[in-house]
Amino acid sequence: MEDVLDEIVSSEDLQKFEKVFHEQLHRGTVTHKAQFEYAWCLVRSKYPTDIRKGILLLKELFNSHPEGKRDYLFYLAIGNARIKEYNKALHYVKSFLEIEPANQQVLTLERQITKRMEKEGLIGIAHWALLMNALLGVHYLFAKKKQIKED
Amino acid sequence: MSRCDIKVVLLGSEHVGKTSLVLRYVNCRFNADIPYQNTVGAAFCAKTVRAGDKDFNIGIWDTAGSERYEAMTKIYYRGAHAAIICYEPSSVASWNRLRHWLQELRTVEEDCKVYLCGTKKDLLDSGYVSREVSQDIVATYSQGLCGHFLTSSKTGENVDELFQKIADDCAADLKLMKEVEDLRVQLAKDEAAYRVKNNNYCIC
Ligand SMILES: Nc1nc2c(ncn2[C@@H]2O[C@H](COP(=O)(O)OP(=O)(O)OP(=O)(O)O)[C@@H](O)[C@H]2O)c(=O)[nH]1
Ligand SMILES: [Mg+2]
Repeated sequence: MEDVLDEIVSSEDLQKFEKVFHEQLHRGTVTHKAQFEYAWCLVRSKYPTDIRKGILLLKELFNSHPEGKRDYLFYLAIGNARIKEYNKALHYVKSFLEIEPANQQVLTLERQITKRMEKEGLIGIAHWALLMNALLGVHYLFAKKKQIKED
Repeated sequence: MSRCDIKVVLLGSEHVGKTSLVLRYVNCRFNADIPYQNTVGAAFCAKTVRAGDKDFNIGIWDTAGSERYEAMTKIYYRGAHAAIICYEPSSVASWNRLRHWLQELRTVEEDCKVYLCGTKKDLLDSGYVSREVSQDIVATYSQGLCGHFLTSSKTGENVDELFQKIADDCAADLKLMKEVEDLRVQLAKDEAAYRVKNNNYCIC
């Protein structure tokens, strides 16, 4: 499924924005724009370590640049959802909705996150059921054995 | 696992009505009570549409018009089969930016089919705003492109027509259709492989 939670940044794009960020870092001042664009690429990476790095950069922006608050909240939610930190993701969604309660884009994101939680919850239950089955099976075998002995 | 057959991207200055157009098309809704909320980065929507007796899944990337996101939104032009560039007929500024959007698009996706869309027709019709971009200029400019539509997301006028035209044009494009077919075959293969892998996993 192609959506904002699955979309993956190309390595060229990541490198391009990374380069700008590092050049500015080297010179001593990083603009909000450069940091945001780099963080935005990082949270869309397929590697959790990149995503975590992106989250840190976004948190820093969130604290230092209030004008961009909604952007940072939005991508903090996406980043956390992508590393399956669903509760944190929903926390950022909620903070966003406190500013703009009817925001369609964020309401959609919220639905996507809860859908994922449900899906993964169900997968968890399925595995659990499998395990129970296996245990019952073993139990059954033991019972059988015992029965045979007793017979 | 599903994927989109046709990728459509929306471009245009902020506030011209891109998001409203997509929501009207996909959800058949327009909510005038919700205050304007500029899109963050880009939003994605999908809808199934029938063209040339086949169903296609079209994926729509609705990009944010604010300059703040420009470096980022360009990434979504990549691989687009069709682009809708929106402007407001009552705003010369939004029309002047059109050339810029088109250039940006062309640097990324040369072959993309381009459609122009004048938005908020209901406001023109009711006399609430007046037309500032002359119809002649629009006609001249759209000659080299795939079409021009004047839409209203409020009434829904011409919205389906615009997306249907895109789907029809894509369905008539043999090269694109081959791409779609190849992609579907590849996806079916991937899915089969995925299922085999998963089954093995469960047995273990
Ligand atoms: N009357 C009327 N208002 C419209 C129409 N389309 C959009 N609007 C209004 O115009 C404003 C901007 O619409 P959006 O769809 O959010 O604009 P956008 O192009 O997505 O803006 P960005 O996301 O910032 O790029 C909103 O207040 C809408 O309600 C229309 O067809 N008729
Ligand atoms: Mg928008």
